Order: sequence, then C-alpha cells, then structure tokens
Amino acid sequence: MKYGLISDIHANLEALQAVLKDLEKRGVDSIHCLGDVVGYGADPAACLKLVEQTCDTRLLGNHEYAALGLQSCEQFNEAARTSAEWTREALEDKALAVMADFELHRSLDDMYMVHASPFEPDQWHYIFSSNEAMQAFEHLKQKIAFFGHSHIPMILRERPGDLPSAQAGHTFCADPEVRYLINVGSVGQPRDNDPRACYVVYESEELELEYHRVEYDIAAAQRKMSAASLPETLISRLSAGI
Amino acid sequence: MPEITVKYEDKVIERIVTEKKRISIGRGNENDIVLENRGVSRKHAMIEFNDKAAVLIDNESLNGTFVNSRKVSEEVLRDQDVITIGKYSLIYNTETTHDGGETSNFDGTMVLNTRQQKKLLENDRIERQIVEKYGGSVLLGVENADFAEHRLDREVSTIGKAKFVHIRARGFWLSGIQAKIVREGQVYSLVNLGKSGKTKVNGEETSQCVLKNGDLITVGKTTFKFVEGKTG
Repeated sequence: MKYGLISDIHANLEALQAVLKDLEKRGVDSIHCLGDVVGYGADPAACLKLVEQTCDTRLLGNHEYAALGLQSCEQFNEAARTSAEWTREALEDKALAVMADFELHRSLDDMYMVHASPFEPDQWHYIFSSNEAMQAFEHLKQKIAFFGHSHIPMILRERPGDLPSAQAGHTFCADPEVRYLINVGSVGQPRDNDPRACYVVYESEELELEYHRVEYDIAAAQRKMSAASLPETLISRLSAGI
Repeated sequence: MPEITVKYEDKVIERIVTEKKRISIGRGNENDIVLENRGVSRKHAMIEFNDKAAVLIDNESLNGTFVNSRKVSEEVLRDQDVITIGKYSLIYNTETTHDGGETSNFDGTMVLNTRQQKKLLENDRIERQIVEKYGGSVLLGVENADFAEHRLDREVSTIGKAKFVHIRARGFWLSGIQAKIVREGQVYSLVNLGKSGKTKVNGEETSQCVLKNGDLITVGKTTFKFVEGKTG
C-alpha cells in the first residue's frame, strides 16, 4: 500500500491544495492527516472541508483541541493565542462538528499515527530530545509511527540498549528489524528553513519512505492572513520557513 | 422584574411579578404566596431580593424547601430554578415572561403526599452522599451509561462515542466528541460540539446551557443526571 501522510496544514489552503495535487500525481492509495488542520492561517473552514473530502485518517491536533475549547490557550505564545482565538471565532458549528469527529490516534496495519507523541497523545508532548523519543518508543506497539506537531521533518530510529538516533527527514528505505518514529514535517508552516510545503509518501511493502517538498503560492496565503489581521510574525515566517 | 410561577402537579396556579424586597411563602393567609397544604408550614420560607440576587431562605420548615431537587436552608436563586415545597413547584424567573395577569384554576384543598416527600428527601440524601464522596459535582449515568458515576473535576470534560473522551455515550450517529461540560468556578455549562440535535437537556435540544442540579443530559442514546456538588 502507498500512503500519503500530511500534517500541520494550519489553515494554509494554498499549501494544502498544492500538496494534494502533488499527491494525486504520485498515485497514493490513501491520504492520512495527522492533525493541526486549523490555527495560524486564514482558511480553517476550507482546509477542514478539503481534509474531510480527501483524507482517510483525520487526527486531532492541539489546535483542534483549542478550537473546540477542550484546552486553554495559556500554553500558546501570544501570536498562537491570537490566531487560536481568531480561529474559534471564524469557525461555524458545522466546522466544529467536523473536528469533533477527528480521532486522537489511529493504528493501521503495521503503522501508528498520532499528532504529537504516542506517550499521552492528548498531552501534546514534543519529541525533540533522545529521551523524549525513548519515552515515545516505550508507548509504541507498532513497527513505525508517523507524527507531526514540531513541524520539523525527522527520522528517529530505535536502538535497543541505547538512546534512539535522530536524523533530518530524508528519503530512505526502512530496515524491517528497526522501529521508527517519523515526523512528516508541516504542509502549511514548515520550520526547517525550507518554506516549501512538506509531506511523506510511505510504501509499506517495500518499506520505502519519501519526503517531498512542494512549492506553493506563499504570497497569496500571506495576503489572506494580512486581510484577516492575523499576527505579522505568523505571516512573515511562511516565506522564511521558520 | 422577577417572576414566580406557582405550579401544583404541573398545573400553573399563579404567576407573581413582584417589586417587593421580600416575599413570604407559607400556609398562613398573611403570606405573599399562600400554599394551602398541610405539608407546608405556616411561615415556610421567604425570598429576599437585592440589586444583585434573589435569596431563598427556608424558615426551618418541617418538610423542607428544595431547589432543583436539593434540600436547602439558604440559596441564591438562578434563572429557571425550581423551588419545591410540598407538592408545589415555584419556578423562579429573573425577568417577567408573561404579559397576562394572574391566572388561577386552583380548587380544593390538597393533602401532602408523604410518599413523594419521602422520595424527595431520600434522593436528596443519596445524591448528597455521592457528591460528598467525590468532593464536587458528578454526572450520574441513568440510562445506557457504561459507567455509573463521573466526577466533573476537570475544567473541561468531554462526552461522546470516541474511546478517548472522558465520558462515553452511545449512539451510532454520535460524533467522537459530541459535547463538553465546562466548569467555571461553581458554574457548569454543557456545550454541544458535534452534530446538531444529539445533545439534550431535560428532553430539549441544546447548543449551550448552564446546568442546574437534577438536569437530565441526554447525549445520543445515553442519559446522565447532573448532581451539583455545591451544598445548600
């Protein structure tokens, strides 16, 4: 099976449309969205609709939780809080109902999908350090897990008796004897100094994993954000990929 | 202006709109609201109004005064609160809801149904024990509920059919997270999040409402009773 894995769209419709077009070209069997469809960007409702129409898996992210009012925005920085409040106002009940049907995590064949970490999925733990990765592996039952949240494409390999190793996201062939945690990067707000939208294609028979970067109309997304009076820092970071 | 609707066995007897600072309730004719029943004390209770609130005070009555099925001695009234005295229900509205004058179709003298009174007191006792055990408000599973008692100690408690919600409810068409209960101090609100029409309070669809003691919350096919932790 050939799976398309996307995450952290963040209401960036231009980036999502470009990624879906690219995925169509690659002939994937199904598309799986790992959360944070909303927040930061200017098109939360349109992105939710598109995800609902195209993705087999639709996971909750912390920004969906915030938009549904299931957690306070206190842990968000000021710009994120402003955009979360804007998002909550912008979404109608129908759009909220779409998010209310998202899952917290999902197992499919040999793979596991979650927004942040297999450890306490609704606590949105980041996986940056080797210790955080080790804790995540301890709570993972499957061979391979896909996640997002940090917006940094990353491959974490389990090493029994040692801390997991970390590498920047790149196309590779997985070792069937090794367990992996794969951060699929971000569609709508990449933070690895590459402003192009990021996603992953996973071929489960051959264990092939490809990272793809897609150019999109960043200026158009930024214009919409300006028109919606969203914070300047969120607008400018799109062109820098930070 | 505040309005009090007096009901006897679901029949409206009287609607009282008042500007008074204090109204008395009891069996004696000198009261502002006269409840002709042997189960009602002569000077049973009173309601005092000030700029901010209306306070119901029980006058150490024999059979007790209940607000939303909870026995009280002194209670700040909220809109739509139901005061039970004997077989009478007094519904408190912060604002006048009807233009018409007083209506009355009440006839005859009633005898207090002691079985009902006992049941009311017994329910109150059981529910007080439950909230005491949990130290706060609780959602009790009444119908089709997997778990009987859910403590509402979080800021937000989720209800739905997904495995990860705090309180599971049944129903094929339910959303994963169908509703949430939000706690702000002593006030609990129920908010529908999922598909519309699947969240009801006392049989009526709701998108958002403040919960009162004794409210029946139906999410899909599962019904819960809201038991307020605040003691009267």
